[in-house]
Amino acid sequence: MRWSYILPRFTLLVLLWAFFFFAFDPLLKWGLIKGLEKGAKAKAEIQALKTSFLHPSLKLTGLAIGDSKEEYRNLLEFAELSFSAEGAPLLEKKLVVDSASLKGLRFGTPRKTSGKLPFVKEEPSELVDAMVAESKGFALERAADVKTDAASDYKVDPAELESVKLAKQLEESYQKDYAAISSRVDTKKYEAGLDAMKARYEKAKGEKNFAKQAKDYADIAKEVKKLTADFKKDKEETEASLAKAKDAFKAVEEARKKDMAAVMAKMKLPSLDTQSIARMLAGPLIAEKTALAMKWMALARKYMPANTKGVLKNEARRGREVHFPKEKTYPTVLVRRLELTGELGEDPLEYSGTVEGLTTQPQVYGRPTTAVIKGVKGARRLDFKTSVDATGTEIMTASELSYAGMPVARLQLGSPSSFMVDITNGTGALEASLKTAGEEISGNAAFRLAGASFKPKADNIKAAPLRSAVESSFAGLSSAVIGAEISGTMKSPRLAINTDLANALSKAFSGAMGAEVKKAQEAAQKKVDEALKPYRAKLDNLAAAKQAELGGKLKDAESKISGMSDGLLKNLTPGKMKLPKFKL
Amino acid sequence: MRQFFQGLTAETTAGQIGAGITLGFLIGLMPKATLTAQLLIVLMMATRVNIPMAILTVFAVSLVNPLLDKITDPIGYALLTSEALRPLWTKLYNMPIAPWTGFNNTVVPGGLVFGALLSAPVYFTGRRFGVFYNEKFRERVMNSKFVKGLKASWLLDWYFKGAV
Repeated sequence: MRWSYILPRFTLLVLLWAFFFFAFDPLLKWGLIKGLEKGAKAKAEIQALKTSFLHPSLKLTGLAIGDSKEEYRNLLEFAELSFSAEGAPLLEKKLVVDSASLKGLRFGTPRKTSGKLPFVKEEPSELVDAMVAESKGFALERAADVKTDAASDYKVDPAELESVKLAKQLEESYQKDYAAISSRVDTKKYEAGLDAMKARYEKAKGEKNFAKQAKDYADIAKEVKKLTADFKKDKEETEASLAKAKDAFKAVEEARKKDMAAVMAKMKLPSLDTQSIARMLAGPLIAEKTALAMKWMALARKYMPANTKGVLKNEARRGREVHFPKEKTYPTVLVRRLELTGELGEDPLEYSGTVEGLTTQPQVYGRPTTAVIKGVKGARRLDFKTSVDATGTEIMTASELSYAGMPVARLQLGSPSSFMVDITNGTGALEASLKTAGEEISGNAAFRLAGASFKPKADNIKAAPLRSAVESSFAGLSSAVIGAEISGTMKSPRLAINTDLANALSKAFSGAMGAEVKKAQEAAQKKVDEALKPYRAKLDNLAAAKQAELGGKLKDAESKISGMSDGLLKNLTPGKMKLPKFKL
Repeated sequence: MRQFFQGLTAETTAGQIGAGITLGFLIGLMPKATLTAQLLIVLMMATRVNIPMAILTVFAVSLVNPLLDKITDPIGYALLTSEALRPLWTKLYNMPIAPWTGFNNTVVPGGLVFGALLSAPVYFTGRRFGVFYNEKFRERVMNSKFVKGLKASWLLDWYFKGAV
């Protein structure tokens, strides 16, 4: 034996053991902190981390992650996370945890030291910025000077209108969509299929065995019918895709409304549209919460396998891999059940729950990840459940949140530069649901506020009648409902906000100086519509032309294919049998 | 590295060269990122075979792997899909660590069988090459500027502890 080879390797093994015994935990702790700081863009702390290899386990205590937006606040913190890994899967390089425990999870807690990281800048949220800008731009100061011809000197530049920009974008994307849809209409494969059937029919026609001929004819007829049905299905799908592409045009109308509000703001006139008022009042707050939820979702999706087909693929660099039945298949990382406890809010509401099926390979595990959290304290009640299903080709999520009896110490709606309402000492109830399918997102939320006091801050409204109308519309008010609907995609979500406070405010505006503002608004709307008209017409004409073009193409193909299949089906009757004649 | 340079001058009997070439041939046939190949490498380093010849053979065989795979792949496929051996493969597949050997990759069992079948001819050819190397090249290698330079270098001398 070559001992000079064996001894150094043995020493290396001893050193390896020493590394895991003395240095592994501090290094893992350091790595985790750095990873968390990178993800959260704020400081992260871990009090202690201990791993064990003989009975593979991990215990992590005192984790706190700072909030990148608030220097002295934590995004979340928890007291302890512990789990033991199963030994056998580790030999297959897989981490399987039967039961884990997460204790003392809290969000938004204050921190003693700064959580800011040097040289890290939080990326601004487009959604929040747009809502804040709209709220700030909501003009009330010139409402007193409004004249019927307020819009006459104001010129609308089509290049600056969001609706025009969107129409141009849509024109481009529709052209691309149409090209993609049109290229998918492949009638040749059906024609080739029918030609093959025709050849089979000719062959079967010469068959002398009547029973075999009948069977061949029946088979051909069956396949011809299937081919025709497949074509019809393809045709319907193509038409639906084109209609879906046209659906995107609806966004122009939304953009037009926003343009109107922007034009009114530029003319320093208030918008009477309740949606604009609702966006001014609750937009920044809801957009901020939505952006935070989206940030969490984006973070979760980042670490979630988008398409886990890869884990099952047979891809060896050399040779071929032959797979055999597996008695037990484990995903690379799996936590079967995580027990969770924590607190919510300043007057803490204790909650507990479970997360099941947390895995990096949902397709191998074959079940969705689910979480159920509940908490009750007096009249306060929290119910949250969520399901993340990544077992298919795209990730589907469904979440529901219900939080009743929520204390609302102070809530500010609106913008200090235009109009604000201070809401204090109320009780809120939140009902929210959110669903995602791939990139598509849809959801709604309703926040009902009761027993609160509403104080409007209307100092920026210089027109006395309007100011008193606004103030009186909030007098005696003790409840409100704020609703939000989210749609669109993860990358560009659309948010629609409504609130009964907006209705009250709109009535106050209309009552005080609605007639003048309305006239100015109509004049401004005319200008916006005129600027948008040629682009909208171009878009509609394009859609109509392309729809007609594709419709014609599909119709031609349909008549050709149905003609061919009808002709074939008509001939598919077995040859006449000569029956014996009987003389009676 | 050390084993390589030591092997240029030591463990150069014809048998050791033949054994090194045989082991190198077998390792060369295997996909390297498998436990099987790694175990064969450990075996090569731990036994007194000629390492430079083994390493050169690994490289040479690895270069012609695309061609050799055309032979080893069907052999391995036939073995892995054989009904008689199916219970064995299934048992191995469900055992811990065994999947790391890459036994379910056609070129691993195929390469092992092909290598085992050719081990005797490769060994004897390698031994004959060893005799030829010792007669014609060993002295030339020993007296080459490269090896002399190595011997003269105090750093390498310290590293090799006078083994070269």
